Amino acid sequence: MIESYVLGVADPQEAAELQRLSLEHPEIAAAIEECEKWLNTSANAGAVPVSANIKQALFNSLDAEFNPATTAAKAPGRRVSIALRYLTAASLLLLIASAGLNVYLYKQYTRAANDYIALQNERNTMLADNRIYQTRIDGMYQQMQIMSAPGMLKVSMPGVSGKENNLVTLYWDTNTKDVYLITNSLPKAPAGKQYQLWALVDGKPVDAGMLEDCEGLCRLKPVQKAQAFAITLEKAGGSPTPTMDQMYVLGNVRS
Amino acid sequence: MHLIYLLLKDSQPYTERELVNLLRRREQAAFSYLYDHYSSALNGVITSIVPDTHIAGDVLQEVFVKIWRQIDAYDPAKGRLFTWMHSIARSTAIDTLRSKDFQNSKRNNTLTEDYTLLPDRSQHPADDLGLRKIVQGLKEEHKVLIELSYFQGYTQEEMAKMLNIPLGTVKTRLRAALLQLRQKVNV
Repeated sequence: MIESYVLGVADPQEAAELQRLSLEHPEIAAAIEECEKWLNTSANAGAVPVSANIKQALFNSLDAEFNPATTAAKAPGRRVSIALRYLTAASLLLLIASAGLNVYLYKQYTRAANDYIALQNERNTMLADNRIYQTRIDGMYQQMQIMSAPGMLKVSMPGVSGKENNLVTLYWDTNTKDVYLITNSLPKAPAGKQYQLWALVDGKPVDAGMLEDCEGLCRLKPVQKAQAFAITLEKAGGSPTPTMDQMYVLGNVRS
Repeated sequence: MHLIYLLLKDSQPYTERELVNLLRRREQAAFSYLYDHYSSALNGVITSIVPDTHIAGDVLQEVFVKIWRQIDAYDPAKGRLFTWMHSIARSTAIDTLRSKDFQNSKRNNTLTEDYTLLPDRSQHPADDLGLRKIVQGLKEEHKVLIELSYFQGYTQEEMAKMLNIPLGTVKTRLRAALLQLRQKVNV
């Protein structure tokens, strides 16, 4: 008899019998549980409030029997689930923010890395240029030395009539007989043509070399003796005799 | 951790298993929860047997002390926690009812001479309370059996002797009485 068992008014034999049956028959066990729930509910319905001092007195008398270690602990499962939820949310937010920061920083980094490479290239180029300039400066210094050496004769070769805008300055080393010149103002030789230097020796023109594409001071053939120098525009490679109407500049040697 | 406890206090109910485990581990918070959730229901049971509020209060305290100290004896396989607690409450109240101190106590003044153990003259001050009130509405032959067994703690054998009826009849009538009671208290 289920009700008497649950309410506690069953015989010990009845109770034992019912327990045995409930183990064998789940429907009996279920029926017992239903009755127990009914007992709980009807007890709640007939509940009588208790005055507050009873709880106080009860807890005071049992004070020494409580577990002191974790008096504030609730079922760990519960606490973990709530705390875990907050923790998970916070962690996720942090992760997203961190990921965003990573993307941004990576972009910055690649940009900086590229800038750095570009800067390195620029520097290398500049270094190379520097060396070139240095070489040219050294070259020019040498040329200045040559031009200002003792025994160097300067022969100014102004443009001939009709070509007055031209000017070439020739340097003739009276000791070594080397000939140098600077084209102060001379039009660029057209394709297939080249300027040629002539030394006028006793009225006769002598080939003194072709004007190459030289920077600053050009070196031409040595000349032993000359009264004047002239430059004509010939075909590329030169000509044995000068083309007189193609003369551009002419300079007399001062004695 | 303390902050989390404050956040969680009273926010989530325990399952019975959690509650029993924590009580076994002597956790004060779990016992406090138990008291808050069940004290008034058990008090209702106690007062239906021992109506005097002061004495009922003492009984309630005693009941909770027993629950605290005997929790290891509770076997979940044999039934729900509340059924076990209800049983302790009822038996403790009945013990108090029968104790010499109670019988002799001046507080007995709240109970009249009419309060006898014989069913046809029983008047109980708690007649208008909860379960007892519903019992009043039952057939006489049912009412008396519930009154004697549930509220006064007599065994079926004792009742058979007292009422001069066969034990088999007691069993049958009690069964019917309780079914009636359950139907009436269908909450």
